Amino acid sequence: MLETEELKKVFKGKTAVEGASLYLDKGESVGLLGPNGAGKSTTISMISTLLKPTSGDVRLNGKSVIKNPSEMRRVLGVVPQEIALYGELTAYENLKFFGRIYGLSGKALETAIQRSLELVGLMERQKEIVKTYSGGMKRRVNIAAAMMHEPEVIIMDEPTVGIDPQSRSHILEMVRQLNQEKGLTVLYTSHYMEEVERLCDRVYIMDHGKIIASGTKEELKSILSSEETVWIELDRPYPEFFKELQSFEMIKQATETEKGIKLILPKGSRVLGKVFQASERHQVQIINVNVQTPSLEDVFLHLTGRKLRD
Amino acid sequence: MYAFFKKDILVLFRDRTELVVLLAMPFILIAILGFALSGLLSGNSEVLSMEVAIVQEDDEEQGIQRFAEELGKSGLPADAQNGIMAAAEETSPSSMLQEILSDESLSSLVTAKEMDGAAATHALEEEEVVAILTIPEDFTFNALQKMMLGAGGGSELELLISDYAATQSEVFHDILEEFVWSLNFESAIARAADGEGAVPEEAQPLLGGVESVSAVEPISSFQYYTIGMAVMFALFVGATISAMAYVEKQQFVFHRILLSDHHPYVYLGAKAIAAALVTFLQFCILFFFSSLIFGAFDLTDLSFWPGMLLIAFSLAICVGSLAAFLIALTMRYNNDTITTVFAGGVVTVFAFLGGSFTPTEGMPAFVQQLGGWTPNGASLNAFLIWIQNLDISMLWEPLSRVFLITFLLLILSLLIFPRKGEA
Repeated sequence: MLETEELKKVFKGKTAVEGASLYLDKGESVGLLGPNGAGKSTTISMISTLLKPTSGDVRLNGKSVIKNPSEMRRVLGVVPQEIALYGELTAYENLKFFGRIYGLSGKALETAIQRSLELVGLMERQKEIVKTYSGGMKRRVNIAAAMMHEPEVIIMDEPTVGIDPQSRSHILEMVRQLNQEKGLTVLYTSHYMEEVERLCDRVYIMDHGKIIASGTKEELKSILSSEETVWIELDRPYPEFFKELQSFEMIKQATETEKGIKLILPKGSRVLGKVFQASERHQVQIINVNVQTPSLEDVFLHLTGRKLRD
Repeated sequence: MYAFFKKDILVLFRDRTELVVLLAMPFILIAILGFALSGLLSGNSEVLSMEVAIVQEDDEEQGIQRFAEELGKSGLPADAQNGIMAAAEETSPSSMLQEILSDESLSSLVTAKEMDGAAATHALEEEEVVAILTIPEDFTFNALQKMMLGAGGGSELELLISDYAATQSEVFHDILEEFVWSLNFESAIARAADGEGAVPEEAQPLLGGVESVSAVEPISSFQYYTIGMAVMFALFVGATISAMAYVEKQQFVFHRILLSDHHPYVYLGAKAIAAALVTFLQFCILFFFSSLIFGAFDLTDLSFWPGMLLIAFSLAICVGSLAAFLIALTMRYNNDTITTVFAGGVVTVFAFLGGSFTPTEGMPAFVQQLGGWTPNGASLNAFLIWIQNLDISMLWEPLSRVFLITFLLLILSLLIFPRKGEA
């Protein structure tokens, strides 16, 4: 549905984005991860037609939108990182204005306002001045404003920065609903790895203006390791149980520790069932089992040498 | 476009600080300057009106009779005596003073009440009168002796002024000094006429000449400062709307507007209309309240207001262009310093040159010329022409300047404003 090809943007001789190629299928939720200054916002600005690329192309349904941005703007909703609202106006007045500039009027406008407010859970407080809202509420109105014209694609640039956990959870659930229940195509950027892990089917990782990795969460994690570690916590040592585990072919390595046993398994192996059967045979008291897989944070650290929030 | 300027006006009216600057501040300045500098301009004699007590101790008739007797003893020829006597009867200082105080030109300023000495003192103490003018005994006789014959020590008026109404007392003192000076001048002329007694008709005393902006129809200080402040604070509207646009850009609302697929010129045009509309509203509000509270203009004069509103509308359009120009610069350079400098300095300079603080009549010619080319100065001139009821064709010059400035600013705005919305 939406794709970019080798996008490049140079500001006063400094390259902000280079060779950014990405795509979004209809109804897909895609994450764009990267630390500050990675080039995410510049990429988003080029995709949303606000910034003309130095080179490269942005295509919607196969058609370039660089010279004719109207097609893209009609189907696109953008939630900027900043609270792009009029603080002196109420949520209702803000949405009314943004609806009007999208050509809505009369009953259609009123319906769009109420639908958007309902979506972000602010029906009750729609007549209050936005500047009196909490950070989370402002963020929600910020999203509602982008939803007024019922876009097919929504780009969200760090929509949960600086808000309380409750509002954050509300926003994440709302994005999930928009994507999974209403079929909205979502491009989501965030510092918060767990948000991207929770919401997105695929992820692009950007650093220093370039996309350095992409794929599904699993694909990305597999960059880091093809193995997983299983910790089995026991009430006491069981030497016979440990000996049997060592004989399992699927277990690459078994180590007895003070609290239990550590197993290193190939990723995706289905050996845990046999491990539990063995524990029953040896009447082993298992206190806890912990399977450790690499997180996207670990992947990012591995790829860039720094943490996301550095 | 309607949605844009409706929103701008709504946002502006919710911002109390801006409202204070744009509406309350000019009104406060009108009040301060209107009262403080009322003496600078004419027409507002109400502020200076006063009541004075006249204590008449002189018997004019008896004085003239005594003078006639003295003249008879002078040994002058009969013809000369007759001429002097006729002049004395005509220029009796006591009568002249009474005439002056009851003159039409002073009647709105001075109300003279004849009282006896005790009543006058009481009235002064009770602050019912601002001064006591005592015309002493033998005033007519002594004055005529001195004026006509150059004999004796003359006579002096006694003036007792209050200290509670210093300005009015001072004005009354000035009126009397003018009278005395004129009287002395006339008698000097009379004596120079070699006792012919021919006092020229045109030598009537000129008392209390009031300075005014125009010789045609004087305007009051409240009228002047209402338009002076209105044209000055109209410029602030341009700066305010420009500052609002910068905030919109900083907060990415401008980007959101661009994403709605409106051409950036629509945005710029809406801002210009909003600025023009706010300016026009500002004029209407200031004119209305200044008329209502300070009596600056007659609200019921239906023939007066169309001209006022037309001039206000012309400047409002110009301020719209000015706002567009400031926004174009702000957006182009992504910096609001230009707006800040304009609001913080340029407006004051324009106001000074344009005559918002004080009439430019007394200033050097180049200052007047420069002021006439500022939008506020040109509009102020247009307002003055209209208020003073001058020839309507005179409006063309200042208004054509306003239109020219409007046009230039608009063209520059369109050239400077980033057409793609990028900065």
